[in-house]
Amino acid sequence: MNGRASVSELAGRMAAVVGARNCFSEGPDLLTYECDGLTHGRTRPDLVVLPGSTEEVAEVVRLARAAGRPIVPRGSGTGLSGGARPVPGSVVVALSRMRRILEVNLEDGWVRVEPGVINLDVTKHVSPAGYYYAPDPSSQSICSIGGNVAFNSGGAHCLKYGFTVNHVLGARVVLHDGKVVDIGGPALDVPGHDLLAALVGSEGMVGIVTEVTLRLLRKPETTRTFFATFPSTDEGGEAVSRIIAAGILPAAIEMMDRLAIVAAKAATGLDWPDVGAALLMDADGPTAEVEDLSERAVKIAREAGALELRLPRSEAERQLMWKGRKSAFAAVGRISPNYMVEDGVIPRSEIASVLREIEGMAKERGLRVANVFHAGDGNLHPLVLYDARETGQEERAEHLGGEILRMCVRRGGSITGEHGVGSEKAAYMADMFGDDDLDTMKRVRAAFDPDCCFNPGKVFPSSRLCGEKPGPGGVEHPAVKSGEVYRW
Amino acid sequence: MVIRERAGKSEDAVQGVVPRLVLEPATVEEATAAVARCASDRLAVVFVGGGTDLGLGARPFRLDAVIRTGALSRLVDHAPADQVVTAEAGMTLAALGEALARQRQRLALDAPLPGRATVGGVVAANAFGPRRTRFGGARDLVLGVSLVRADGVAAKGGGKVVKNVAGFDLPRLMVGSLGTLALLTTVTFRVHPLPETEVTVLFPGLEPDQVRSLAAAWRAAQLEPGSAAAVFSSDRLDLGLRLEGFQAGVDDQVARLLDLGRRSGLPGERLGAAEGAAFWRRHDAVREQGSLRVKIASTPSHLGDLARAWLPPILGELSPAGAVVYPTLGIAFASGEPASGAGLAAGLRAARVAVTAAGGSLVVCEAPPAIRPAFDPWGPPPPSIDLMRALKERFDPERRLASGRFVGGI
Ligand SMILES: Cc1cc2nc3c(=O)[nH]c(=O)nc-3n(C[C@H](O)[C@H](O)[C@H](O)COP(=O)(O)OP(=O)(O)OC[C@H]3O[C@@H](n4cnc5c(N)ncnc54)[C@H](O)[C@@H]3O)c2cc1C
Repeated sequence: MNGRASVSELAGRMAAVVGARNCFSEGPDLLTYECDGLTHGRTRPDLVVLPGSTEEVAEVVRLARAAGRPIVPRGSGTGLSGGARPVPGSVVVALSRMRRILEVNLEDGWVRVEPGVINLDVTKHVSPAGYYYAPDPSSQSICSIGGNVAFNSGGAHCLKYGFTVNHVLGARVVLHDGKVVDIGGPALDVPGHDLLAALVGSEGMVGIVTEVTLRLLRKPETTRTFFATFPSTDEGGEAVSRIIAAGILPAAIEMMDRLAIVAAKAATGLDWPDVGAALLMDADGPTAEVEDLSERAVKIAREAGALELRLPRSEAERQLMWKGRKSAFAAVGRISPNYMVEDGVIPRSEIASVLREIEGMAKERGLRVANVFHAGDGNLHPLVLYDARETGQEERAEHLGGEILRMCVRRGGSITGEHGVGSEKAAYMADMFGDDDLDTMKRVRAAFDPDCCFNPGKVFPSSRLCGEKPGPGGVEHPAVKSGEVYRW
Repeated sequence: MVIRERAGKSEDAVQGVVPRLVLEPATVEEATAAVARCASDRLAVVFVGGGTDLGLGARPFRLDAVIRTGALSRLVDHAPADQVVTAEAGMTLAALGEALARQRQRLALDAPLPGRATVGGVVAANAFGPRRTRFGGARDLVLGVSLVRADGVAAKGGGKVVKNVAGFDLPRLMVGSLGTLALLTTVTFRVHPLPETEVTVLFPGLEPDQVRSLAAAWRAAQLEPGSAAAVFSSDRLDLGLRLEGFQAGVDDQVARLLDLGRRSGLPGERLGAAEGAAFWRRHDAVREQGSLRVKIASTPSHLGDLARAWLPPILGELSPAGAVVYPTLGIAFASGEPASGAGLAAGLRAARVAVTAAGGSLVVCEAPPAIRPAFDPWGPPPPSIDLMRALKERFDPERRLASGRFVGGI
């Protein structure tokens, strides 16, 4: 380290690389970068830089490193776990200017893009040729491919098609020393360790991704959707279990409980009935297969106690049904002044009993929880409703969210199915993993970034060396200095 | 705890190197202790499952001990309703398949030699079969692992649910790592329902370009074969497409595929159950035969180069000679008995230069001892080799696990 440069000195050097317009350390623009989609935790970065190319990213990393500054990569800032939240003294490197789609190869089924490209724009680009990019987070019209890679994002259709990790073939990454390295490639099975596995889902902690090669899929011939209502989530959960047990692999199977339905109706004006649970299922693939599958699924849903079954008569009607589901998060704002989105996973066969347990936990604390979830893979999104104006409610809501995650772990599940650990859930990692497990993961990180200069303070519960990495100009832990321990 | 141990014998040799010691743990705890013992005694160790892919990788640079996982063969947990299974690393694919079939499920990972190949070995070697066409490879099916690091510390990663993004992805990092980072002790997979029916359609005697245009046609028609594999036979490709699922959907796709073929002047044939099985046995025989096996990974659009330029110089040196091509994956395996060592090494080298120039790789999966010294099984290391070395350094700084067997001498 060259000693600590002042913010203005560093800003000057950065501006020489990216241009003065793309580098700022004050002003109203800085506010945007204080947090990501999780807006209640804010930290002001010292500097925000928006590089326009791999070479600029490499130079920015070198300068930040030389100045002893932690680096926080950022895509569109839609993350829901504080993954792109700055740390004090940090340089935020935002990739939103790198938005080019570089190359498409339909026969081999891939597209190479810059990290700032918006998820949905990939599909839009290849859609005229009949192809698409499968991972479809609900935020797909705003989130970036770089963010998707960092968080291994999923969507409603990942039950059948998998997550980001199943669709990334290659990546270009700027490492801690400014070196640029290519990992994977369009060809499968590059000899050696599967570094893409280490990269995807690493939450910005191993380097900055500056290009990604994504797998493209041919659009399915037909999609059939149905909407079914049930007296309660018990029957709804039972329908999901039976559909899966019958050997049907739906493209998506989503469920909402009573409170979520009420909210979605209020927001969209849909004429959904007031019921205990609603199920929305997509089957896709070759037409004959899909028609057969959806008939079977509808029959099973009826036998499992469906009150009403609706099949959309047009694509517009189908889109409307999905709109109801997709707007459910935001719609909750209609029935509660504030809410928190959780993201836990449980074995899908336990959906009904887990929902009952959540309801009990909420009652005990005098709170309400609306549930919207990916039922096929047991990924719950409990929305904890509260009123921040009432003292103590926010804390109670936070506490309840945490208790729900712990319960997911007790049931054999996970503290996150798609939103990532970020800064928000780092504390819960210890509920799911032991010290040795975490230590093993830290070794992976250390292989890429030995000094933890990328996105410190995320994923790992603090109290370890790296978690404690001091801000810029801070002192080395004595054990590290003496060479007794290396940082990971 | 007493771990079964014995002196190494010639049948324990890893590419001709006989270990002094063989450890045969029968539980996860014993396996952990076995690795810990190697750590405290500073023993260089290779992990062996069914031994079906021991030819993959270079001759060990050092070898003191072998840890065999064959006795670590229990089914730990199968939750049919959640479509998730956990097995000990030494369980064979066949044994796991039997257990799953009782609940009408399967692991869609159809690697060669299922009677011997173990789940741990299959993950470590990234072995796969024709169903990768639709279901992906080990990295697309593995959900969780427990492992033992070189220092004898047991750890786990991933989970037992199909969706989970908590922490670094250790399970996928183990895929293809060939025992260089850790010993796998249990593996959790996503499983799928057994299909109601399966039908194979055969398009015999195709030119590479005809395979490509047929693939383009079924993609355009939005058909989705579950397996696509072509067996090379006297310069032509016999392409088998397997459709799996419920009867109505399968019948329809079969009829449409045949129709597509007819319209392109490529008559196909719907095989009966016995003929279909025979085609896949022919495929298996090529995957499993011979003392030389080579894998070429490229992209689907290079099928012409593969069939016309890359495979012939290798196949010309083998007798019998065979090759299987997975046209949608861009991957091929050539296999057979080498006639002369010198010609083969030259043929492999020529093919590797061309494959590498086209952005692919050529890896030797099995070779007779006479050929080994003349040919690096992995070829030129990828540009990310420094990161791989760094990873190895963090996991196994003494370089005792599968010492020197991996890419770039890792
Ligand atoms: C309304 C709403 C709905 C959502 N629905 C879903 C959903 O269905 N499924 C789902 O999975 N998520 C969902 N999310 C969460 C979020 O959209 C995803 O996590 C998304 O991938 C984040 O992308 P981003 O570009 O906004 O990344 P950011 O939030 O900017 O960053 C996310 C992480 O990626 C890192 N990062 C970003 N770019 C790079 C890069 N180029 N190189 C290295 N690291 C980088 C950051 O450091 C950070 O750790 C939703 C969010 C909202 C607001």
